[in-house]
Amino acid sequence: MADELVPAGQQEVIVVMQDYEARLNVTWNGQNGDLADPIPFDASDNDIKAMATEAIESGTVAGIAEAQPNFNDFVVDRFAASEAVPYNRVFVRPKTPFGD
Amino acid sequence: MSTEAAVVLNLVGEVLYWHLPKNRGTTYIPDTRTLWEVLWQYRGNLGAVVHSHPGKGLPGPSGTDITTFAAVEAALGKRIRWGIITYDQLAYFEWKGPGEHDYICTDQQNFDITLKWLKDLHTHSYGGIQNG
Repeated sequence: MADELVPAGQQEVIVVMQDYEARLNVTWNGQNGDLADPIPFDASDNDIKAMATEAIESGTVAGIAEAQPNFNDFVVDRFAASEAVPYNRVFVRPKTPFGD
Repeated sequence: MSTEAAVVLNLVGEVLYWHLPKNRGTTYIPDTRTLWEVLWQYRGNLGAVVHSHPGKGLPGPSGTDITTFAAVEAALGKRIRWGIITYDQLAYFEWKGPGEHDYICTDQQNFDITLKWLKDLHTHSYGGIQNG
């Protein structure tokens, strides 16, 4: 995938996304937003959750108020670039299993 | 043999979504992004999520259930009711605190088969109610 020009959320800044990078989207406390800076697409789940935590704690995620989130029971979904969305995406969302 | 199933209800108890993933089993419903997307989509009108457990008698949430309740509510930024059915009973659980995983039973009922969604959940889980 060639470098893509990606609108960076609500900041109206054009960011060049490399093949090895991804846009990180987080949901917390009824709010949802993208981190301003791309993250490594192959970062570990724990590292991604740590990046999301740090970003929300510092109040730098557009659309999410500064908070002290706990992502222990959240999971990481990864979607590679496609024709529809020409850059990698990573989502931190709550887990949803029931049972044992 | 039973198979766990779940249903998402709005604030007045109407069905918003049936959660019947193909790889659900006797004692579990696996993690899916789809269920989260449904809960987020309907967050403004979301009342309860009810799922089934095997067996009879008073249902109780597993450790997996409770951590799912807490994670979903933390992401939604709101509290909802979490129902669990067994073959013959229904109970609702809600967060009471102070800890993030402190959920208690707030309502316990015998099965009311006049509720269509409850009857349908029973059918999806146990194959239907046997007379006698």
